[in-house]
Amino acid sequence: MALTLDIVTPERRVLSVSCDEVRAPGVQGGFGIRQNHEPFMTALEPGRLTYVEGGREHHYAIGGGFLQVADNRVIVLADTAESAGDIDVDRARAAFQQAQERLLKLTEQDENHRAESARVRRAAARLGVAGR
Amino acid sequence: MPSLRDIRNRIGSVKSTRQITKAMKMVAAAKLRRAQDAILKTRPYVQLLDQMLTRVAARALAEDTVAHPLLAPRTLRTADVVVITSDRGLAGGFNSNIARRAQRFLTEEGERFERIAVSTIGKKGREFFRARKVEIVKDFTGIHADLRYEKAEAIASEYTQRYLAGEVDAVFLAYNEFKSAIAQKPVVVQLLPIETPAAESTAGIDFKYEPSREALLAELLPRQITMQVWRALLESAASEHGARMSAMESATKNAEEMIAALTLQYNRARQAYVTKELMEIVSGAEALK
Repeated sequence: MALTLDIVTPERRVLSVSCDEVRAPGVQGGFGIRQNHEPFMTALEPGRLTYVEGGREHHYAIGGGFLQVADNRVIVLADTAESAGDIDVDRARAAFQQAQERLLKLTEQDENHRAESARVRRAAARLGVAGR
Repeated sequence: MPSLRDIRNRIGSVKSTRQITKAMKMVAAAKLRRAQDAILKTRPYVQLLDQMLTRVAARALAEDTVAHPLLAPRTLRTADVVVITSDRGLAGGFNSNIARRAQRFLTEEGERFERIAVSTIGKKGREFFRARKVEIVKDFTGIHADLRYEKAEAIASEYTQRYLAGEVDAVFLAYNEFKSAIAQKPVVVQLLPIETPAAESTAGIDFKYEPSREALLAELLPRQITMQVWRALLESAASEHGARMSAMESATKNAEEMIAALTLQYNRARQAYVTKELMEIVSGAEALK
């Protein structure tokens, strides 16, 4: 296997595998990583992180964070990370709708607006990953 | 001299106390294991975050620019001390140790600042300072009952915002550091301003940063602060369970000693009673002869 991938959250180490390719949602757009990628560090958006291992894709919903590549070692520091199989679609949808409703009640000047809109994006990412 | 029945009742009540303290000890031991586990699980994240932050910040510091307002030096005039205690008692010296440590900090360090204020996380700390007529500017409730990372995030972001707005120049966390199941150490650590990461040379790999080093720094720093709060909450929780376990252990031992002493007393009293009865019968029989 060409790469090692570690996903770590503040609460636990989620994943530690070897794989061939990693695709992640960077703040400046999605990107892919394969063997011998240049040393690179970026912030991540809430979204879908995929790794490919022996032709099989595995999906994770991550809630923002950082990614670092060096020496074929990919490290993801995610605020939250869940494997697609662990997400309950119905509950993810309910959480998404709830977050959306709360956000709509706030004006853009509200001090909680940023936190709430981040929550909506996180919920949307979870739902998107779970839906497939 | 207490009657036989008095002693018997006493033994019964001490026995039921022992049962309670024993159960509490067992519950605390189970919770302690989980809390210890939670601390261990934060380690990889803390290490990696530190690594990234050092790499990104060291460059910025070397270039001698203020890369982020959180790293800008400032004169310290006002300070907040956040005291973490538990919501529940019966944990030995757990709460009073940290409350007294915080109070000592207030008197010792108070002179350095124009104003120093107390905030509390946990019911016991609130009661302690309220009883001593110390004003509490902010009391966070319901943190321990459902300890989650988001709570640490909320606390950290509140103080970061106040810091950036210039409302407070320094924030300290006072909590019980977890040493082992039987040892806790009350500590006061500085949360803000951030202790600048050591500017060690990170020559070697030259990273490409996206969107930019400054932008990454702006994302990394708040997480570093949150992680410190999260750590403190977890350490305090583990310490609390450890302290309660030892307290209940010694309470159980005391109860057992007491039961032994009372049982001895009971047997003596019973023996005396039997002897007295016997004497009466014998002397009664003698008299009839």
